[in-house]
Amino acid sequence: MAPPPTIAQQLASKQREISVAEFFERNRQILGFDNPQRSLLTTVKEAADNGLDACEEAGILPEILVEIAKEGDDRVRVAVTDNGPGILRKEIPNVFARLLYGSRFHSNRQARGQQGIGISAAVLYANLTTARPAKITSKVEEEEAAHVLELFIDTQKNQPRVATEDVVLWDRPHGTRIELVLKARYIRGRQSPYEYLRGTAIVNPHARIVLVEPDGTRVTFERATEERPPIAKETLPHPYGLELGELGYHLKATKKPTCTEFLTKDLQGVSSRAAKEVLAAAGLKASTAPGSVQGEDQERLLTALRAASLVAPSAEGLSPIGAMLIKRGLKNVLGDVRPDFFAPPVSRPPKVRGGYPFMVEVGLVYGGGLPADQPVQILRFANRVPLLFQQGACAITNAISNLDWRRYGLDQKGGSGLPAGPALILVHVASTKIPFTSEAKEAIAEDPEVDRELTLALQVAARHLRTHLSRRNRRDLASEKFAIILKILPKLAEKTSGLVGKPPPDLTPVITRIMDVVNIESGVTSAADGVHVPVDITNYTPRARVLELFVELPPEALGGATFAPAPDGTDPHLGRAWWTLPKLTPSGKTHLELTFPPKTDVESNDLDWYVAGIDEAHLLGADPLPGDWDVRLPRTIVEAAEAAAAEGAANGGGEEEVDYDAAESGESSAEDD
Amino acid sequence: MPRSRAKAAPKTTEEDEPKIRADALTPTLDLARQIYEQLDHGEIPRMRLPLRTKQNLAFQAREGVWKLGRQMGTRSARKLDGALMLLRTFYLVDFINEMARDKKTSTLRELYYISEAWQEAKFHSEDESNLLIEDLEVLCERLREDFRLHPEENGASVIGDLTLKERNRKGIVKTINCRDDVGDGGYSLPFNVEKEKIQLVKTSAKFVIAIECGGMVDRLAENGFDEQYDAILIHLKGQPARSTRRFLRRVTEELKLPVVVFTDGDPWSFRIYASVAYGAIKTAHISSYLATPAAEFLGVTASDIENYDLPSDHLSDQDVRALQAELTDPRFGTPEWRAEIELMLKNGKKAEQQSLAKYGLNYVTEHYLPEKLTEMGVL
Repeated sequence: MAPPPTIAQQLASKQREISVAEFFERNRQILGFDNPQRSLLTTVKEAADNGLDACEEAGILPEILVEIAKEGDDRVRVAVTDNGPGILRKEIPNVFARLLYGSRFHSNRQARGQQGIGISAAVLYANLTTARPAKITSKVEEEEAAHVLELFIDTQKNQPRVATEDVVLWDRPHGTRIELVLKARYIRGRQSPYEYLRGTAIVNPHARIVLVEPDGTRVTFERATEERPPIAKETLPHPYGLELGELGYHLKATKKPTCTEFLTKDLQGVSSRAAKEVLAAAGLKASTAPGSVQGEDQERLLTALRAASLVAPSAEGLSPIGAMLIKRGLKNVLGDVRPDFFAPPVSRPPKVRGGYPFMVEVGLVYGGGLPADQPVQILRFANRVPLLFQQGACAITNAISNLDWRRYGLDQKGGSGLPAGPALILVHVASTKIPFTSEAKEAIAEDPEVDRELTLALQVAARHLRTHLSRRNRRDLASEKFAIILKILPKLAEKTSGLVGKPPPDLTPVITRIMDVVNIESGVTSAADGVHVPVDITNYTPRARVLELFVELPPEALGGATFAPAPDGTDPHLGRAWWTLPKLTPSGKTHLELTFPPKTDVESNDLDWYVAGIDEAHLLGADPLPGDWDVRLPRTIVEAAEAAAAEGAANGGGEEEVDYDAAESGESSAEDD
Repeated sequence: MPRSRAKAAPKTTEEDEPKIRADALTPTLDLARQIYEQLDHGEIPRMRLPLRTKQNLAFQAREGVWKLGRQMGTRSARKLDGALMLLRTFYLVDFINEMARDKKTSTLRELYYISEAWQEAKFHSEDESNLLIEDLEVLCERLREDFRLHPEENGASVIGDLTLKERNRKGIVKTINCRDDVGDGGYSLPFNVEKEKIQLVKTSAKFVIAIECGGMVDRLAENGFDEQYDAILIHLKGQPARSTRRFLRRVTEELKLPVVVFTDGDPWSFRIYASVAYGAIKTAHISSYLATPAAEFLGVTASDIENYDLPSDHLSDQDVRALQAELTDPRFGTPEWRAEIELMLKNGKKAEQQSLAKYGLNYVTEHYLPEKLTEMGVL
């Protein structure tokens, strides 16, 4: 099944009379060869992507080795080796030395490259700038030896020309290596091969990627997981995304004898009933041969298809990274930055734009060694390929800029534009057809549906950030208070009572006045007999408290947990359990414990604690019960909460006093004694 | 409070144990009792102190000095910083009481090192310990010497015909003339210049000239300015120490001599003059004891730089900020000072005292000072 020719193909066919060299010259910018720096990046990108794609199709965990060496003043030697399945001898010349040739060109599924121009363009560029051939080494598992070919592209005919050929022993079971000498310049930093490979490593944590730089530096992005992302399935075209020409092409190419069969079997989402309605609306007979539908009938058929209510396009053609792998990838590559916080990655459900499914994923990392006084770092990906250029023109960047990040704890002048702060935001858009701004595929075009999904996903990540920051602030405040009550206050009591010659006073009332929080402290410890989560609840407030404690955890973890004491209720579907705590007097404590089977994968972050019966300002280590939980609380708790709120209101508005130790000291330091 | 201090200071007689006033410990223990009772009543411990800020300076017309105003701040154990300062206060009180028992004294720098043993309450800088001592002075209405704490000797020098009696370390009273009995370095001021230590006997001088830089003091001494014009030269050594300011105050008060202040012509020198004449912000609680309201600013003024065409430097950004801060400092709120500061800002120039040497070594004593002093009505 071959879909209609794309723009690129049409372009090429028109230009067949002129040389591909000329075609190349005209399209250098689109192809990514407009300057020496970028040419190197494009070459690395195309070769590495080919390797990853080949491994993915063959179900192999990828290992990509990129070696870059200087070869004279303005020349660079690039060698990219993968452990893919290898390429059959007869295919090698066409794959590497013929433009617009490729097996993925005609498929309706998400893939890295789609044009089949990439790697041959790099070969052509090398041929043109240094007159050196591309050296390809490839071995398939079934053969004993590897084929080594040196290739040129015949720029008149767009045909490969094999300069030399050999068969060698290669110390790997299968794989492909391409070596090129091209006019190029190696840099590190933004828009560099390093950055590209780092981005690639983040979204492909199942790959091991090694970069050898011209000065001999070896950078290894180690594999973070053996788990491979699911392979995107090839799917049928959906009528909502079809153009007229494409419909015509499919009608002509199909082997199905009738229109009904064509509609229900060659297209996606059309039921027999829908087919019947569509054909009736288009004034066509069910038994008509698809090939005989011509001209205006085609148009009527398309109109009817678009108007029909069809099953939405399937998302099976998508290959999202997945929340788990986004987290692993970011952790792996950002390890040396030691961020404080990895927001739980957001993977939005697939949506449809036109006839094409798409989905948005967002990862957010905060703190650690990330620079605090600069705009946040943005890592953009389209179909698991890093986007390094045209950041300002990209829908991803715009979605980030249009969010008011000040509400979520980042700096942002005027509430729009790129926020600043020690954060990194990863955004991945996956689709069988990404709406790029141009053929150069550097930025994603504005589209209301994509934009809405981007915004929703970013908001979820941003809310996680806000929660983290507010918890951190409260923790900081609390640790300050703990320092006061644990270290300073007892000594102050000791010193002053010693000076006045009286016994040290009971500090409980002062401690509860200073703290004025109920502290929920939980930790996770792994032991042979299970994973224990002890929870201590201490009332550091000056009044008695009656509280309801809730925990929320992944439902599958809740299933295996045991509790002491037993909870007053659980919700296995939502992963929740709750307790009515015994009345806590000032300084009063209570304890409970959760135990999971040994080796359960539970982190502190997986457990969220909520408390009813007290307001946020007086809670530490837990959040107030969210309003949308719709829980019927015991009457005692409701009454206690109301009483506490009333008392809080009555006590509010205490006189504000100037903090002596924070008051401006004037320019007194110059007037020292 | 500082007023009562001024009266209390001369109360001691030579028979008293030097420097230490017997009732110094009582108010420190009162402070401890206050905090103890707060703790015992379940209240968050706190102290109220007058703010020692530029904004909280108030002019005392009767005394002609700037003292602390009525704005109060609270030091509370609710905040970590406040809690630490409270704890430090009582380590300090404990230390002071201990010294009194052992009849010891300590330098400010020694105290800073003593605090090494105070764990989390230790001082992180000498500024921190000095500020706390000043807080204690304010709270207890005593001077740091009453707490047996004193600065290191820094020996600001005095040259001129002034006869005084000093009780030295061995308790022997020496009579010293600050011109005839001293070397080229002059008479060196001890940190304690109170009556129990120093008594001013007599002088033939007509005025006192307080000078910022040592080089200028030497120039005036070498040129015989003190004898020719009957002057007492006092070296301020930059921002003058408490003892220097207290000595100036005593000399003018007891010997009824006018004082002029001769400094560089820059924003920092203005502050030197302000702390001599009006009182410093940090020690505003004892202005009536340290400040010399009669002191007059001689120069180098912004207009001197122009009139005498002195070699000058451009004001740095820091200088400009300092001048702008002075415009909001109540002590510089007079029309004369505002004009002076604004002129310096406008000209963008500053000059050192010693730039007068442009016209030769004798110019300052033969022309500049006689002209300025005549203008001021001192000569």
